[in-house]
Amino acid sequence: MILDTHPALPEFEYIRPANLAEASDFLAQHPDTARPFLGGTDVFVRMRDGFMKPEFLVDVKNLDGTNELRFDSRTGLTVGAAVNMNRVIASPDVQAHYPLLAEACRSVASYQLRTRATIVGNLCNASPAGDTIGACLVFGGVLHLHGVSGPRQEPLSGFFRGPGKTTLKPGDIVTAIHFPIPPNGCVGKYIKLGRNQLSDLSIVGVTALGHKDSTCSSGYRFRLALASVAPVPLMPAEVETYLANNPLTPDAINEAARLASQACSPIDDVRGGARYRRQMVRNLSVKALTEVWKKLD
Amino acid sequence: MAFHKINITINGGLEQVVVPSNMTLMQMLRENLALTGTKNGCSAGECGACTVLLNGEPVNSCMVLAVECDGTNIVTVEGLAGDQQLDPVQEAIIQSGGVQCGFCTPGILISARALLDRNPDPAEEEIREALVGNLCRCTGYVRIIESVKAAAKV
Amino acid sequence: MAEPKVENSTSPVGESKIRIDAREKVTGAAIYADDIQFGNSLLHARIKRSPHPHALIKKINSEKALALPGVKAIVTGQDFPGYIGLYLKDRFFFCRDRVRYVGDPVAGVVAVSEEIAEKALGLIEVEYEILEPVLDPEYGARPEAPLLHPDLGKYAVASFIFPQPGTNISNHFKIRKGDVNGAWEKCTAIVEHKYRIPHIQHVPIEPHIAIAKVDEAGEITLWGSSQSPFAQRNLIAQSLGISPGKMRVIAPYVGGGFGCKAGVSMESLAVAIAMKVKGRPVKLLLTREEEFFTAFVRQGLTAYFKMGCDENGRLLAMENTFYWDGGAYTEYGVNITRAAGYSSSGPYEVPNVKTDSYCVYTNHPVGGAMRGFGMPEIHAGLEQCIDELALRIGMDAVEFRKLNCLKTGSTLVTGSRMHATGLSQCIEKTAEAIGWGKKAPPSAPNKRRGKGMALMWKAPAMPPNAGSSAWVELAEDGTLNVGVGGQEIGQGVFTVAAQMAAAALGVAYESVRIAAPIDTRYSPYEWQTVASRLTWSMGNAIVNAAKDARKQILDIVAEAWDETPDDLNIVNGVVISYKSEKEIPLKNLVIYGLPKPGDQGWRGGPIIGRGSFMPTYVTGLDAETGQGERAVVHYTTGAQAVELEVDLDTGRIEIIKGVSTFDIGKAINPELVEAQMEGGFVQGMSSALFESLQLKDGVLRNPSFVDYRIATSSDIPKDLQSYIVEVPQDDGPWGARGIGEHSMVPTIPAIANAIYDAVGVRLEGPPFTAEKVYLAMLDAGIVK
Ligand SMILES: Cc1cc2nc3c(=O)[nH]c(=O)nc-3n(C[C@H](O)[C@H](O)[C@H](O)COP(=O)(O)OP(=O)(O)OC[C@H]3O[C@@H](n4cnc5c(N)ncnc54)[C@H](O)[C@@H]3O)c2cc1C
Ligand code: FES
Ligand code: FES
Repeated sequence: MILDTHPALPEFEYIRPANLAEASDFLAQHPDTARPFLGGTDVFVRMRDGFMKPEFLVDVKNLDGTNELRFDSRTGLTVGAAVNMNRVIASPDVQAHYPLLAEACRSVASYQLRTRATIVGNLCNASPAGDTIGACLVFGGVLHLHGVSGPRQEPLSGFFRGPGKTTLKPGDIVTAIHFPIPPNGCVGKYIKLGRNQLSDLSIVGVTALGHKDSTCSSGYRFRLALASVAPVPLMPAEVETYLANNPLTPDAINEAARLASQACSPIDDVRGGARYRRQMVRNLSVKALTEVWKKLD
Repeated sequence: MAFHKINITINGGLEQVVVPSNMTLMQMLRENLALTGTKNGCSAGECGACTVLLNGEPVNSCMVLAVECDGTNIVTVEGLAGDQQLDPVQEAIIQSGGVQCGFCTPGILISARALLDRNPDPAEEEIREALVGNLCRCTGYVRIIESVKAAAKV
Repeated sequence: MAEPKVENSTSPVGESKIRIDAREKVTGAAIYADDIQFGNSLLHARIKRSPHPHALIKKINSEKALALPGVKAIVTGQDFPGYIGLYLKDRFFFCRDRVRYVGDPVAGVVAVSEEIAEKALGLIEVEYEILEPVLDPEYGARPEAPLLHPDLGKYAVASFIFPQPGTNISNHFKIRKGDVNGAWEKCTAIVEHKYRIPHIQHVPIEPHIAIAKVDEAGEITLWGSSQSPFAQRNLIAQSLGISPGKMRVIAPYVGGGFGCKAGVSMESLAVAIAMKVKGRPVKLLLTREEEFFTAFVRQGLTAYFKMGCDENGRLLAMENTFYWDGGAYTEYGVNITRAAGYSSSGPYEVPNVKTDSYCVYTNHPVGGAMRGFGMPEIHAGLEQCIDELALRIGMDAVEFRKLNCLKTGSTLVTGSRMHATGLSQCIEKTAEAIGWGKKAPPSAPNKRRGKGMALMWKAPAMPPNAGSSAWVELAEDGTLNVGVGGQEIGQGVFTVAAQMAAAALGVAYESVRIAAPIDTRYSPYEWQTVASRLTWSMGNAIVNAAKDARKQILDIVAEAWDETPDDLNIVNGVVISYKSEKEIPLKNLVIYGLPKPGDQGWRGGPIIGRGSFMPTYVTGLDAETGQGERAVVHYTTGAQAVELEVDLDTGRIEIIKGVSTFDIGKAINPELVEAQMEGGFVQGMSSALFESLQLKDGVLRNPSFVDYRIATSSDIPKDLQSYIVEVPQDDGPWGARGIGEHSMVPTIPAIANAIYDAVGVRLEGPPFTAEKVYLAMLDAGIVK
C-alpha cells in the first residue's frame, strides 16, 4: 500500500562499477536484487513506496561514454544514458535538429529534477506516461545496450512490453539512445495535458512529427505517439497510413484523430478517467497535427 | 550496509563525511553537518524545499545520494550570502515580502539564484517555469516572482 | 479601547514594515522544530497504523518487533486510557479496541533510528475483525448506519456542542428564525441545490513533527511545529491525568499551519512514546504521505440549499442543511459544524432562516480546523445559489448582492445586530476592479471568457472566553522585548506584534524583539493561533502590556521631574515633556530607574508591563433556535471576483485575473494584509481547481504531491489585485480585525460563477478539474 511509504530510503548497497563489462556482470549475477540507476528519480521514489526493494543500486553514470551528447550530421544524435534532461534542452544541436526532443524534456517535472532525470531513465522506466518517450519514438530512436555478451542495438519501437516492462534482460544496460537524422524540414509538437499548467505528470500526452513526402499520395507523412492512454506508449500506425493516403484536409485530420482515439485503451485512474482521456486524445491529436501541418505549409 | 568516506566542498569549505549508501544529500546536510537551512518537505523530489546547488546546478537534495557527491561542490542557502552582504535574491525577497512561513524560502532562493546565473534577465514566464518545482503554500507566489524580477535588475 | 492615546508621529502602525523574521528566514538561520539538534541521545518513532477504515482490534503481537536490535519500546492503546479532544473528548492517543479510519494509530515504535523503527512496524502483528464502514455523512446520520462511537453519550463535551448519543451525529446545530415555511409562498423566485465539497488537505510545506522528552520526575517537554502550544499543554496533560504544569511545550517557527497544527494531533503520540523511554528525546516526523492521510483534513460536506426572494430581489428565506463528514473523531469538527450554522445565511440579511448543521462520524480521516473553518465549504454553494437567484429574478448579481448584503445594524441570522461593516464598499471596489459588466473577447477562438463574484463573512470561531496575554520588558539599551504566546506561522504576527508594541509604547519598530520561540514555561498564555484572532485579541493584550509599561515609565519620570504623566510622552524611545520640554532616553532608566536628587536613593526599577485580553460579552445561543444576544466577537467581510477562460478543447481553466477586497477594520501592516489576500486567493483557487482527497472505500488514493496537486508558480493569474477597506472594529487595536482565513473563503464560488458566466455549466462541487468541466460541457452539448 502506497500509504506505507518509508520515511527515507531503505537500506541498500551502492555499487559503482569501473566499466560497463563489470556493471553488466554484476547485474547479471544479481538478477533479482540489483538494479541500475542514473538520476534515480524513479528508482528512489519506488524504493520509498516499497514497490522496488533492490539490495544493490548500480550507478551506471560515468561509465564509458554514457556522459556524451554527440551530434554527427551524417549519422544523427546520440544521447548518452547519463546525460540529464537539462543538458539535452540546452544543447544547440538538439535545438537545431531535434527541437521536439527538447520540448518533451522541458515538460518533465521541474528544472531541479531535470538536473538529475535522464531520457534513458525515462525510457527504461517504461511508464506509459513517460513524457520523452513519444519524441524518442517518432524520431525512430535506437537503443545502444551493453549486456553480458557485449554491446548491441535495438530499435525503441519494440522495447515496451507493459507498464514498467521492457525487453531488457538481466545484465543489460542502456548506454545511449541514438536518433537518425530527422526527415528534411520536419516539424514536431508535443502537447502535454496535466492538471497543473506545468510540472505535472501527463493525463494525456500527444506527440506529432510531420514532414513533406512526395512518395506518399497525400504528400505528407506524420507520426503520432500517445502517452498515458494504453499499457505502453502508443504509436498508432493507422494514423500514419491514413494521413499518408488521403488528401490532407481538416476533415482528414479529424478522422486521423478519431483513429488515434480508437487505437488507445485508457483506464480510469487518479489522474483522469478513460472517457475523458479518449476525448483528449482526439482533441489534442487534432491540435497537434493541425499545428504541425500549418508549419509545414 | 557499507559506509563511504567522501570529500565535498560545501559553501566554500572542504568537508570529509562518512555516509551510508542510502543516505541522501539532504540527510547528510541536515543530520551530519547541521546545515538545517535545507528543508525536508516531502523526501520525494516534489516540493523543492530541499533544493541546493550541485556543481552550480540546482538539484532536489532528497533525490541525490550523498555518496554520489564525492568530489562535488555544494551550495546551500547558508552559503548564498557573502561575508557582509546578502545575495541580491535574498535582499529582493525580503523587500518584496515574498517570505511568509519561510519553509519554502531556502529552496526558492537556490532556484532563483540558479536561474539568474544561467539567465540574468529572465522574462516572467521563465521565472514561473524555473520555480515550478518549488511549492509554496503561503504566498501565492506573487511576491516571490516579483522578487526574482527585482533581483535580476541588480 | 479603540485607538490607544499615542500622539506619536513615527508610529509604525499602518506602515508596511519589513517582516521581523525575514532575514533569518532567507539565510537559513530560522529554526523549525526538525532543525533542533538533540545529539546522540535522540530516538526515533514510527507509527503502526490501521489499514482498515473500521475494525475491532482483536490482538496485537509486538514480540518480534521488540526483539529487533535497536528497538527501545513499543506503545499501544492499552497503556493510555485517557480521552483527548478540544470540544469533544472522543479520541484516545492510540486506538484501544477499535480502529475508525485508515491511518488510525494502533501502536508506536521507538528505536535508535527511523529505519529500524520502520522495520519494526512490519513485525508488529495486528489481528482485526473487520466492520462495515460509514463512508458518507448523509448515510451516517441515518438510524440504520453502523454506530461508530457507542460511547458518545459518555464523552466530555463543551456546553455549546450538542451530540446525539445512539447516533453518529456528534453535533446538531439549529437555526430557527422567523417562519421559513410561510415565507416560501411569498417568494417570486426560489432556487434549490445540492453541493458536495470534497475533503482537502492543508499541505503546509513543513510536515508535522514533534519531539518529546519525559524526565525521571515525569516532567514532559514537547518541541513541535504547533499553532497551539498552550492548548497542547492542557489537553495532553489532562488526558494523561497529570498537571498541565508538568508539561512544557516549546514551539519554534511553524512552516505553515493553515489549521492542521492547531489542537492536538500527532504530538500526543510522541509524548506517549517518550513516556516509555524516560530521559531520551523521541522524534516523530510525519512523512508527506502520512501528512496527507493522518493529519487533520478539511472535512467533506454535503450541503442542501434552498433560498428565495421577492419580486424586487429581496431575500426572504433560506433553508440549509449541512452534513459534515467529520471523520473518525470530531473533537474539533463539531465546532466547524456550529460555526457553519451560525453563519449559514452568508453575509446577507434574511428574515426567515432554517438551518440544520450536522456533524457526522464517518470512517474517513479526522476533520479539523482549516483556513476558513467551514466558511469556504458553505460559501461554495451558497454564493452560487445567490447568483442563480439573481439570474432567476432578472437582476444583476452584483446589484442583488448590494441589495441584500449585511450593512451596519442589519439583523443577523442569530438575531443579533451587525457591527460597523464596509461590506458594501468591498462589493463596489471589487466590481470596479474586475470590470464588472464589461465582457472582453476570449484570447483564442477555442476559449470562452467569464467573470464571477462572491462575498463572504467569517467570525473567529472559538470558545466565548478565549484569552490572550502579553508582556513587555526593556533592556538597558532601551530595546523592547515582547512576550507573546501567539505563534508565527507565516501570517506575520510577530511583525504586527512588534509594530503594535512599538506604537503603543513609543519606541521604534526596529528596536523591538519578539521573545521566541514560544515556550509555555516562559511565554504568556495564548489560547491558540487560530481563527484569525491574534492581531485583534493578542494585539489588545500587547497594547495593554505596552500601556502598562508606559504608565510605569511615565510615573517615574513625572515624579523625578515633578510633572504630571499627562504632560509626558514617549516618542522614539525618548521620554519628553510637552510642558518643560525636557527629554530623557529610555535606556538605562528602564532597568536602573532614576536617582533622586542629592544622592538620596533611587526611584523606579526594571520595567515590565503586563496585559491580557479576553472577550467578556459573547453569549450562548438557544439550542433549539440558534438565537442569542451576541454569538461571536465580530465578522470580517469581503468580496472576491475572478476573470477566467475555459478551454473548449480540454476543459482547462485559466484564471486571468483575481480581485480581493476585505474590510479588516485597520491594516496594521498593509503589505502583510495584501500578502494574506494573495496567498489566500491562490490557496482558494488551488482548492477550486485541483484539490481533493480521493477516498475510495476509506482508502486515500492520492496521498502524495504526485497526485494531490496544489497550485504552482505556473498556475497563478497574471493579475492579482488586493484592496483594503477600513471600517474600524470598536474593540480592535487601532480598529483591526483579522484577515488570515477570510482571503480563501469566497474563491471557490467566485470561480464557479465565472465558469457559469463563460460556458453555462455548474458542477456539483470542486475541484473544477479540466476533466469535470469538459465532460459537463460535453454532456450539455456545448462541445462535441
Ligand atoms: C518529482 C518527480 C516528477 C516527475 N515528473 C515526471 C514528468 O513530468 N514526466 C515524466 O515522464 N517523468 C516524470 N518523473 C519520473 C522520472 O523523473 C523520469 O522517468 C526520469 O526520466 C527518470 O530518469 P532517471 O535517470 O532518474 O531514472 P532512474 O530512476 O535512475 O531509472 C529509471 C528506471 O530505469 C532503470 N534504468 C536506469 N538506468 C538504466 C540503464 N542504463 N539501463 C537499463 N535500465 C536502467 C532503473 O532501474 C529504473 O527502473 C518524475 C519523477 C519525480 C520524482
Ligand atoms: S524534500 Fe526534496 S523535493 Fe521535497
Ligand atoms: S512561505 Fe510558507 S511555504 Fe512558502
